[in-house]
Amino acid sequence: MSKRRLAFSKLNMAKYISHLDLLRCFTRAIMRAELPVVYSQGFNPHQKMTFSLPLSVGVTSSREFADIEFEDGISDSDIMKRLNLTLPPDIRILSVGAPEISANDIFAAEYEVTILSDSHCAELPDACKKFFAQPEVAIIKRTKKKGEQELNLMDFVESAEGFRECGDDARFSLTLSAGGQKNLKPEIAVEALIDHLSSQTDIKITGYNIHRTKILYDKNEPKEFN
Amino acid sequence: MQNYRRKYEDCLRRVQKPARYIGNEFGSVHKEKTDDMMTFAFCFPDVYEVGMSHLGMKILYHMLNERDDTICERVFAPWDDMEQEMRKNGIPLLSMESCSPVGGFDIVGFTLQYEMSYSNVVNMLDLAGIPLRTSERGSGDPFICCGGPCAYHAEPLAELVDFFILGEGEEVNGEIMDVYKEWRGSGKDRDEFLMSLVGLGGIYVPKFYDVEYNDDNTIKRFEPNRPGVPKQVRKRIITDFDNCYAPEKLVVPFMETVHDRIMLEIFRGCIRGCRFCQAGYIYRPVRERSVKRLTGIAENCIRNTGYEEMSLSSLSTSDYTQRQDLIDDLLDITVDKRINLSLPSLRVDNFSMELMEKIQKVKKSGLTFAPEAGTQRLRDVINKNVLESDLIRTSKIAFGGGYNRIKLYFMLGLPTETYDDVLGIAELAKKVIDEGFFTIPPEKRKGRSVSITVSTSFFVPKPFTPFQWEPQDLISEMEAKAKYLKENIRSKKIVYNWHNSDISLLEAVFAKGDRRLGEVLITAHSLGCKFDGWSDFFDYDKWIEAFKANNIDPAFYANRRIGYDEILPWDYADIGVPKSFFIKEHKRAYEGKTTPDCREKCSGCGAASFGGGVCFE
Repeated sequence: MSKRRLAFSKLNMAKYISHLDLLRCFTRAIMRAELPVVYSQGFNPHQKMTFSLPLSVGVTSSREFADIEFEDGISDSDIMKRLNLTLPPDIRILSVGAPEISANDIFAAEYEVTILSDSHCAELPDACKKFFAQPEVAIIKRTKKKGEQELNLMDFVESAEGFRECGDDARFSLTLSAGGQKNLKPEIAVEALIDHLSSQTDIKITGYNIHRTKILYDKNEPKEFN
Repeated sequence: MQNYRRKYEDCLRRVQKPARYIGNEFGSVHKEKTDDMMTFAFCFPDVYEVGMSHLGMKILYHMLNERDDTICERVFAPWDDMEQEMRKNGIPLLSMESCSPVGGFDIVGFTLQYEMSYSNVVNMLDLAGIPLRTSERGSGDPFICCGGPCAYHAEPLAELVDFFILGEGEEVNGEIMDVYKEWRGSGKDRDEFLMSLVGLGGIYVPKFYDVEYNDDNTIKRFEPNRPGVPKQVRKRIITDFDNCYAPEKLVVPFMETVHDRIMLEIFRGCIRGCRFCQAGYIYRPVRERSVKRLTGIAENCIRNTGYEEMSLSSLSTSDYTQRQDLIDDLLDITVDKRINLSLPSLRVDNFSMELMEKIQKVKKSGLTFAPEAGTQRLRDVINKNVLESDLIRTSKIAFGGGYNRIKLYFMLGLPTETYDDVLGIAELAKKVIDEGFFTIPPEKRKGRSVSITVSTSFFVPKPFTPFQWEPQDLISEMEAKAKYLKENIRSKKIVYNWHNSDISLLEAVFAKGDRRLGEVLITAHSLGCKFDGWSDFFDYDKWIEAFKANNIDPAFYANRRIGYDEILPWDYADIGVPKSFFIKEHKRAYEGKTTPDCREKCSGCGAASFGGGVCFE
């Protein structure tokens, strides 16, 4: 028995697959691939599977991670090859290997944010930049445990940079706290930005895209999680 | 096309359950469209998780896509929040696979599973931008067709639908595509295409028939209006069910659907002949699949889907002749893979200890039985050949085996029903507890207590049954009966649920209605009626307004006793069982005489003329 870490991409419409549905999707893909997976003991046995950092519905990702336990005797490359035949097209396994870093060490995630506009506006990237230069932005965070809390968005922003034009749209890179200690869903930050743009400027925003580019661990010396 | 996709994707951020709309599931079929290919939009007039639970759609979707010359794509009714987003953003109804506008398909087919989905058919046509009435459609528009159980009699949709498929799609759909292929580009008009379809048999084209009415609103004349169109359309069915097409690769949804499992269709039809049950007559004769074929299909479906559950699908699972062999063979291929096997539609008269132990091997859940009526007298009237002693015996086996919850289904408002029959339901449920549970010695009881759920629905008289001439109870009567039953259920171990009576009335009107109801449907749609099968959407007052606006009295269709000699709106359809048989059965019902099932003794219903199935076993 050994735990393997599967890195996978979740692109296009697959961004709308919820965490629970993704779990079911992997379970069935493993069944179809007839891979020797380890089941939990107990009344309702299930495949032993955990995802490193659940992704919000509506967000795509270049590299997500699932830790799954397999019986011995199946190679990493076999797992990858067989699962890529049985997973739906918008979810692709990128690598399989032994997990080295604990998901508990994750502290942040980097996102590529695109703010959509259907008319060109040269000030848009700069307006976005100015928003993230503020010392304090009040946001409401809802959790099951604590209910509604008013918090400062900037406490969660590790960095916001690379503001640029992309056709009529604006694009930038946003790194937010993530993981067990301190976590913020990216759409909360982006919706706060759009609220600000609609109320403080004349720029017309038609929507947004968020794409997770990497997950980071080790706050003192940030490195890409793998 | 691409720009719909971007707008459509953007809408998904603002709706509940976006996974309903994303497509690209494992097993979905994506084909490159070339000019010579024909396109078929398979529409299910309900939301994704309901439509994706439907076996018929799975069969026909994959079957049409096996043809190199045809692209079949799925379409579902968007939930209200998504519909509003689509209308606001100018997005028409789109197919799942390629996000193509439904109005651009060659043929748009709806499957009609229940009458309460008709308003969604209208809404989907409207959202697709397709003219609602056949008379308003022209050369640039698709052909609209309907199939499924309600298509045997969907006169209320006659003004909206170009043709109906009577019978089983596996048998006919390929031929329809062949005819379309020949017609397309031939320069012939739409009517000529429809005439060629008539030649196939099993196709009903409503515009080729004229209907005249008497002053009392009954039908005076219902005749073909051109040569070559038959007075009656005979259904087309598969005779060799064992060897007919069954999909072995299925679309596996991302989100949880209502029936989220492999459905293994073990046979089609039912030997029983319950007199209220339309399915029991329209699917005649009973045709079984062999154990060998079924295990083959099951193995492939398991491999191709990864599903963790498989259920046997039929109208009455325990009537499968080789049931012990089948369950043994299926357990052999499922247990090791941790796949649950579930057996719905069990009957109490042939439920055995052995069968129960087998299904328990994998999963122990609640059991459901449908005695349908509370007294033996009434069960004889409806020909539900189930004895009280059967139910008690079965409950004993179940409770003794560790089940602690049994659900019982009944109908209220059946023909000849009295308040004694209603009371009988309460008494029967109590007996199941008293005699099925308390007679088990306390030390042998598995659970500490048990519960019984009694559910009642209201009887809806349906075409192609011996009760097709029967009136439905008035809403006030239905409610009085449900109240009386509730008052007479006193045990805390019995929970009572009942269905909405307003919906049952609507169901009766559209089940037995004629083509004058088309305008009511269109008015109801304009008033906002949709998803009528969902209690959060169903709005009785709007429907009543729609009837009034068209000067139509719903009671004429639902609450009137029809004479044997009256022309029925569905007389055009020949399901293989003639009216004379239903008259005979209707009379036997009133005499309290039961009719044996097909395997016990042939009652000569006429279905033998199809040349297959149980009639030749």
